[in-house]
Amino acid sequence: MDFSFTDEQQMLRDGVGKFLEKSYDFDARQKLVNADAPWSADAWQQFAEFGLLALPFSEEQGGLGGSISDCVAFAELFGKHLVIEPYLGSVMLAGSALAQSGHAAAEEWVEKIVSGEAVVAFAFEEGHGTASPELLAMTAQGSGDSACLTGEKRLVHAGADADAIVVLARKGEGGPPAFYLVEAGADGIDARAYTTIDGRSAANITFNDVAATELEASEEAVEKIIADAIIVQSAEAVGAMGALVAMTGEYAHTRKQFGVPIATFQAVAHRLADMKIAYTKARATLIYTTALAESGAATPRDIAILKGQVGKLGRAVGEAAIQTHGGVGMTDELSVSHYHKRLLACDTTFGDHAYHFRKVGMG
Amino acid sequence: MKGIDPDQSTMAGTTGREMKIEFAPELEAFRAEVAEFFATAPTPAIREAGRKTTSVFAPFKECMEWHRILYEKGWVAPHWPVEYGGTGWSVEQRFIFAEEYRKADLPPLLPQSLGMVGPLLIDIGTQEQKDRYLPGILNGDDFWAQGYSEPSSGSDLASLSCRAESDGDDYIINGPKIWTTYAHHANRMFMLVRTSTEGKKQQGITFLLLDRTDYPGMEIRPIVGLDGFPEQCEVFFEDVRVPQSGRVGEENDGWSVAKHLLKHERGGGNAASPTLMRYCERARAAAEKTPSPFGGMVADDAVFQREIGELEADIASLGHFEKLAISGHEIARDPAFPSMNKTINSELVQRASVLMTQVSGVDGLARQLETLRVGSNVEPLGSEFDLVSMPLCLNSRATTIYAGSNEVQRDLIARTVSGS
Ligand SMILES: Cc1cc2nc3c(=O)[nH]c(=O)nc-3n(C[C@H](O)[C@H](O)[C@H](O)COP(=O)(O)OP(=O)(O)OC[C@H]3O[C@@H](n4cnc5c(N)ncnc54)[C@H](O)[C@@H]3O)c2cc1C
Repeated sequence: MDFSFTDEQQMLRDGVGKFLEKSYDFDARQKLVNADAPWSADAWQQFAEFGLLALPFSEEQGGLGGSISDCVAFAELFGKHLVIEPYLGSVMLAGSALAQSGHAAAEEWVEKIVSGEAVVAFAFEEGHGTASPELLAMTAQGSGDSACLTGEKRLVHAGADADAIVVLARKGEGGPPAFYLVEAGADGIDARAYTTIDGRSAANITFNDVAATELEASEEAVEKIIADAIIVQSAEAVGAMGALVAMTGEYAHTRKQFGVPIATFQAVAHRLADMKIAYTKARATLIYTTALAESGAATPRDIAILKGQVGKLGRAVGEAAIQTHGGVGMTDELSVSHYHKRLLACDTTFGDHAYHFRKVGMG
Repeated sequence: MKGIDPDQSTMAGTTGREMKIEFAPELEAFRAEVAEFFATAPTPAIREAGRKTTSVFAPFKECMEWHRILYEKGWVAPHWPVEYGGTGWSVEQRFIFAEEYRKADLPPLLPQSLGMVGPLLIDIGTQEQKDRYLPGILNGDDFWAQGYSEPSSGSDLASLSCRAESDGDDYIINGPKIWTTYAHHANRMFMLVRTSTEGKKQQGITFLLLDRTDYPGMEIRPIVGLDGFPEQCEVFFEDVRVPQSGRVGEENDGWSVAKHLLKHERGGGNAASPTLMRYCERARAAAEKTPSPFGGMVADDAVFQREIGELEADIASLGHFEKLAISGHEIARDPAFPSMNKTINSELVQRASVLMTQVSGVDGLARQLETLRVGSNVEPLGSEFDLVSMPLCLNSRATTIYAGSNEVQRDLIARTVSGS
C-alpha cells in the first residue's frame, strides 16, 4: 500500500503552494480579512486556473474527476496559509450536492462553480451547531420544484455573498435530510452577515416561506458529501497544525530568555515534542482515512475518529503554540493566534471532538 | 482538628488558635446587604460592562465608574488594612462579598492600582508617597499601569534594560516597555528601570513611580490582541525626565521591591474561585437552553455533568485553599503558595472558558467586536453568553503566560519539594 501523494498530486501541491507562498502570505491574508470584500476574487480566479474549482466534479460535468485524496493534497496548503475563500462550502458541499442531483437547474450552477463565475453557499448548521445530518430540525414543505423552506441556519459561509444557497433540511416532518436550492435574494430570506473568528464571511439566515427546488439525494449521498467535507476540512486543520509546529519550533530556537534559547528549557522542549506528536498523529489519521474514503471503505466510525482527533489535537497544538510564544502569541499581529482560531473553528463545526469521541465510544 | 460542627459552625484551626466560621444568620444579613447594594448601585452601563468583560481586565471607563461608587460606599479595598481604607471583614464576609459580586456579573476592579501598587506603598512607600498616591488609588481618580516587561525581558525580567540615568534630582529614562496593560488609559505608571549594569542583573534595578504618563518623550502605542481589542501597549521612553522622589526603596534595590509587590500580585488578596464558579453557573444556565445532540438538554447530559462536575470540584478546592490562606492558615506561608495559587487559578480559567465555548458551539464563532463595546446598539447574534464565551476563551490563554508563566511557576514550586 502506498499512502504517498502521486506525482500529479505532488505537482498540484507544488503549483498551489508556490502561488500561495507568493500571493497569500500572512500580511496579504490579513489585508483580505480586514477589507470590505468577503474574500479575494483574484485568488478565487487562480484557484479556477489551477483546476481546483473543477477538481471534484466528473468530466461530463466539466470537472476533472478528481478524488478525495486530490482535494486533501491541496487543502493542507489552504490550512497552512489560512485561506479564507469559501472552497469547502461552495465546491465540496454545495457543488457536490448540486452535481449528484442530476437536476437541470443544478447542472447550470455546477458549470458556473467550475468556471469560477458563481459561488454557492451551503447552509447546514443550526442552533448551537449540527453535529450530524440526523440532528437537523429544519423541515421543508412540498417537494420537487415547488418546495418551500422555513427556519434558521447558522454559520452559512458566504451566506450573504453567494449567488445561490444549497440548504440541507428534512424532507417533510420526520423525513430524511435532503438538499434544497434557493436563489440568492429570494423572497423571505433574511441574512445577517458577519465575519467569523477565523476571518471568514458568514451569515445567519432566516428562511420564511422561501421557494426552493428540491435536489434528489439518497441518505448515503448526503452522508458522503458531509464526510468528504469533514476530510477536506481536517486536511486544512492538519495543514494549520503543521504550520504552527514549524513556526513554534523556529521561535523557540531564536527567542532567548535567561541567556539561552527557550527551546533549551525542558518544559518548552517537551511541549515542542508534544506538538510534533499531535501533528504527526493527526496527519497519519488524515492520510489513512483519506485512503479509506478513496476506496469507498470509510465508515462513519472512521470519519468520527478523524474529526475527533483532529479537533482535539488541533486545539492542543494551538494552545501550545500560543503558550510557547508568550505575550506575542496573544497578539493579532502574529499569525499564531489566527491559526489557533482556525483550529477552534474546525473543531467546532460538524460536531466537536467531544461529540465525535462519544460516537466512537457508542460503537 | 475537630472538623466542622454543623450546629456551631466552628472549626479548630491547625494554627493553634480557634478559627470560627461565623454564625449563618449574621452572615446571611451581610449577604443580603451586599446583594441589595449590588442590585441598586451600579448604573446600567456598569452592568453591561460587567456582562461584557471578556478578560481579567474589564472595560476601562465603566470599571472606573464602578470603582468610584464602591469607594463612596467604603467597599473598594476589602483586602487593605482598615486604617488605609480596608473593610476589616472576616474571611467569610470577604468571600460572600466576592460571591455576590460575581453573581451580579459586575466588572472586576483593575488589579494594578488596588492590588499591586497600593498595597506596596502601604507596606514600604515613604510617607510622602503614601500621602500623594494612596487617596487617588483608593478613590479611583488615578489608574496605574505596570511597566515591567520589555521586548527582550519577559520571563527573565531581571535582564531588563530600560535605562534610568541619574541627573540631579531626576532620572532620565530611555528604552522600551511592552505588554503594559491599559497604559493607554493610565495616568500613572509604576515601573522597573536599570540604574546599574554592575554585579548581578537583579542588583542594578530600581522601582519608580511615574507621576504622569504624558511626559515629553513618552509614547504609548496600543497592541491589538487576538480577540480584536487593544488591551496591552508598547511604551517608549526617549529622554524622559522624572523626579527621583518617585523611587520606591533604594536605588538598585528595585528587585526586592518588585518581589515584595509580587506577593500581592500572585498572592490572591482577592479570591478567584467565585469568578470561576460564576463561569460554571453561566455555562450551566446556557446548557439548560441548549439541546444536546444525544437528546434532551446539554445540562442533563451525563458527559457534560461529569465534565462540569470535575471542574466545579477543582474550583471548590481552590476556594478552600483561598479561604484557608485569607484566614492566615500556614498554607499561605508555604514559599510555594503564590506560585501554586497562580497556577491553579490560571489553568481553571482556561478550562472553564473552554467549556463555555463548547456549550456555545458554532454560535461562539462569530466575531462581534461592535456588539461587545459597552453602549453598542448592535444586538448579539445569539445570546449574551455566546457573545462572550469565545473572547473569554481566547483571552484566557494569557493567564498561563502573564504574572510569571506557569512553566516558571512550576520551577519555583519544584524547588520547594526538592528535599534540600
Ligand atoms: C494579557 C497580558 C497582560 C500583561 N500585562 C502586563 C503588564 O501590565 N505589565 C507588564 O509589565 N507585563 C505584562 N504582561 C507581560 C507578561 O508578564 C509576559 O508576557 C510574561 O512575563 C512572559 O514573557 P514573554 O511574553 O516575553 O514570554 P517569554 O519569557 O519569551 O516566554 C516564552 C515561553 O518560554 C517559556 N519560558 C521562558 N523561560 C522559561 C524557563 N526558564 N523555563 C521554562 N520555560 C520558560 C515561557 O513559559 C513561555 O512559554 C502581560 C502579558 C499578557 C499576555
